[in-house]
Amino acid sequence: MMFESLLQSPFMQDVITLGKPALFNLYFALASIPLGFPFAVLLAVGKASNNRLISLLSRVYIYAFRGSPLFIQLFMCYSMMLALNQPLWKPWGIDHIVLHPLFLGPTVLILNTSAYAAEIFYGAMAAVPRGEIEAALSVGMKPRQIFRSVTWPNMLRLAWPAYTNEMVFLFHATTLIYFTLPVINEQKDLMNKAGELFERDYNVFLHFGVAALYFLSISILIFWVAGMIQRHLNKHITGAKTRLWFKPKYLR
Amino acid sequence: MTKNMKKLALFSGSIFLAAALFTSPVTAGDEVRIATEGAYAPYNYVDDNGKLAGYEIDLGNALCKEAGLTCTWIANEWDSLIPNLLAGNYDAIMAGMSVTEERKKSIKFSEEYYPVAPSLYAAAAGNKLDLSALKGKKIGVQGATIQAAFAEKTYGADNTILSFETFDQSVADLMAGNIDILLADGDPLQPVVEASKGGLAFIGEGVRIGGGNAIGMRPKDAKLAQQFNDALASLKAKGTVDTLIKKYFKNGPFYSK
Amino acid sequence: MLESIITFLTQWLGEDTGATLAYISNGKHLAWYASVRFTLITAVAGAGCAVLFGLLGAAMKRSSFLPFKLAGDFYTTIVRGIPDVLFIIFFPLAFEQAVEFLMSRVKCSPEAIAAATQWPPCDAAQWYLGTGHYLTMACISLGIVYGAFAANVIHGAMQAVPRGQLEAAAAYGFTPRQVFWRFQVRQMWIYALPGLSNVWMLLLKATSFLSLLQIPDIVLWADRLGSANYFPIKGLVHPDWRWKYYLVLFVFFILLTLLSECFFAILQARASRGIAIPEGGE
Repeated sequence: MMFESLLQSPFMQDVITLGKPALFNLYFALASIPLGFPFAVLLAVGKASNNRLISLLSRVYIYAFRGSPLFIQLFMCYSMMLALNQPLWKPWGIDHIVLHPLFLGPTVLILNTSAYAAEIFYGAMAAVPRGEIEAALSVGMKPRQIFRSVTWPNMLRLAWPAYTNEMVFLFHATTLIYFTLPVINEQKDLMNKAGELFERDYNVFLHFGVAALYFLSISILIFWVAGMIQRHLNKHITGAKTRLWFKPKYLR
Repeated sequence: MTKNMKKLALFSGSIFLAAALFTSPVTAGDEVRIATEGAYAPYNYVDDNGKLAGYEIDLGNALCKEAGLTCTWIANEWDSLIPNLLAGNYDAIMAGMSVTEERKKSIKFSEEYYPVAPSLYAAAAGNKLDLSALKGKKIGVQGATIQAAFAEKTYGADNTILSFETFDQSVADLMAGNIDILLADGDPLQPVVEASKGGLAFIGEGVRIGGGNAIGMRPKDAKLAQQFNDALASLKAKGTVDTLIKKYFKNGPFYSK
Repeated sequence: MLESIITFLTQWLGEDTGATLAYISNGKHLAWYASVRFTLITAVAGAGCAVLFGLLGAAMKRSSFLPFKLAGDFYTTIVRGIPDVLFIIFFPLAFEQAVEFLMSRVKCSPEAIAAATQWPPCDAAQWYLGTGHYLTMACISLGIVYGAFAANVIHGAMQAVPRGQLEAAAAYGFTPRQVFWRFQVRQMWIYALPGLSNVWMLLLKATSFLSLLQIPDIVLWADRLGSANYFPIKGLVHPDWRWKYYLVLFVFFILLTLLSECFFAILQARASRGIAIPEGGE
């Protein structure tokens, strides 16, 4: 009885209604991270590269995508992709995929997040202890070997707190997708659905409150999972380095 | 030290309060605020001079003059027009809005100022489509319109419905071939099909969804509705409404026989 | 004036360029350029609010009074957990409803409140919002969101000020108040500047959300101007040009970022004059 009346409460009704939209936000974030991560590493290596052209291109890319709002990047990419529909996507027969928000949304997110993450990785790469690299050189390791066994693990460990932060930002950024791309059938995200519920009864505190709770709890979940990975990355180090986790970088 | 920080906090708090007072409530006098979308030619649009213009702007100004009201125009996104009206951010809507039973539940409509016109289907020319048996097609509509509700109900089960923020965006996707069919008001769609130079064509018969266009107001504003209705009746009798329809829609439909 | 310049340029550059110039300097384009003011005003005023909220938040985080400290930590944590755009849309709506609620308690009769079927209960409690109000609320909500980030930066910077300096000042007979304002806060800015510059960049990018609050900002105009036009009565007939306009905005924001970086570099140089920083900022 108690349980049923609780389930009937407006709050629980909202929690249930917004459950499916929350999956869309999760999908956008989860679809972007696996590709965004390697792309960001490539960009960071590119920025640190000795090859002037590669370094310059990586720098310009990172600067441009960090220096402009994602909101505008989404608008720009959609309208550009649309303009290319007749000359390219249609003849190639991929227009159904390319312009679909479930594809284009993560694509733009990848372009955006990789620039931010690249800057994090670049900073971490510069912070890799010189002594360790020199030690590796002195035992006759090749550059590729040094990257794999010294630079890479150090970079990952140093960058992880900031990268965790970036993943949370990325998850939050998924709200912008349906502000800019067309909504297909009932494929709506949290903001979209909360706004729709709001327009029915104007209860701004309930609907946006529940949406905010969803974002908050998933953000905490991301921190928790990333924290476990962090402990795994740092398990061979005692003391000072693990303290990084308790002073995470708050900025993007 | 903490004491000082508290003082600092108090100081910043008072600035915030000042900012809040700056936005102190104002109430409108005799001024009537009319909201429009500004992206729905020829009903309402922003012209090359950067001014709101269109059939509804001209008609609205004529109505206000006739009724002796002072009117100002506000541009507002389509999908939040009704909520913002009810929230009191303006007093009337003239934005190509059709009278429907659904909308009548929340807002009050004046008499119609533009007769019922059928909604039309536009698609790429030569695309053989049977409207009675559509399957697996991408149908575009503007979100929160009567066409959106109709398409959802009629074709939603077997087809993909894409809803766009503005009419212009839906046209852009039709032109670019991202949607197979666009269902929209005939009047704004007509020149799009003409301008495509044979690239687009109307398919099937149009459908009549909802009523003609009317001014939307809050249900309690009966006096304002009366003023608008009287002015509208007199402008229809004088032929002013038909003159404006001729200016913006060329061949009607007109109110006079 | 403008027309004579265009006529001259048309003769000089040829018909096409002249026509383009005339088009991009017509009324609606001028309105677009002018709408940059909304972006700049919101960014600057929002940044001001953010610093105030940041100081407030940092003060609460440092407070020895536990409820204050918890509130400060709550504020900076919650904001980190929800998207900025959600708060920016939520705040004006919630604020408007709260004001109307308070006004209805003062201005409406109890009978009217009891009998009310819609919001607000009586006309006197109606709050009309214009662009100015939305702009103010946008600044405040940006201030609240990025104030939480600034609070963390300022909190960290306060702690970065070397203890020895404060102790030395106290030993020279400065009162605690003087030590706080003249030494800790004075030096705090140097450590806070790099972090605050980062907050400013975030805030600058968040000003692109203004169109979501019905403010006719550069993004809304870009959409309107770029959209295809098929009505000669409306103006130049052209296909969908939106991507060009968004590209302009893309570059515009990058330039703003570039400019901000230069500005903060100068600020940092000035702020750290005469002060030796061991290892740069935070």
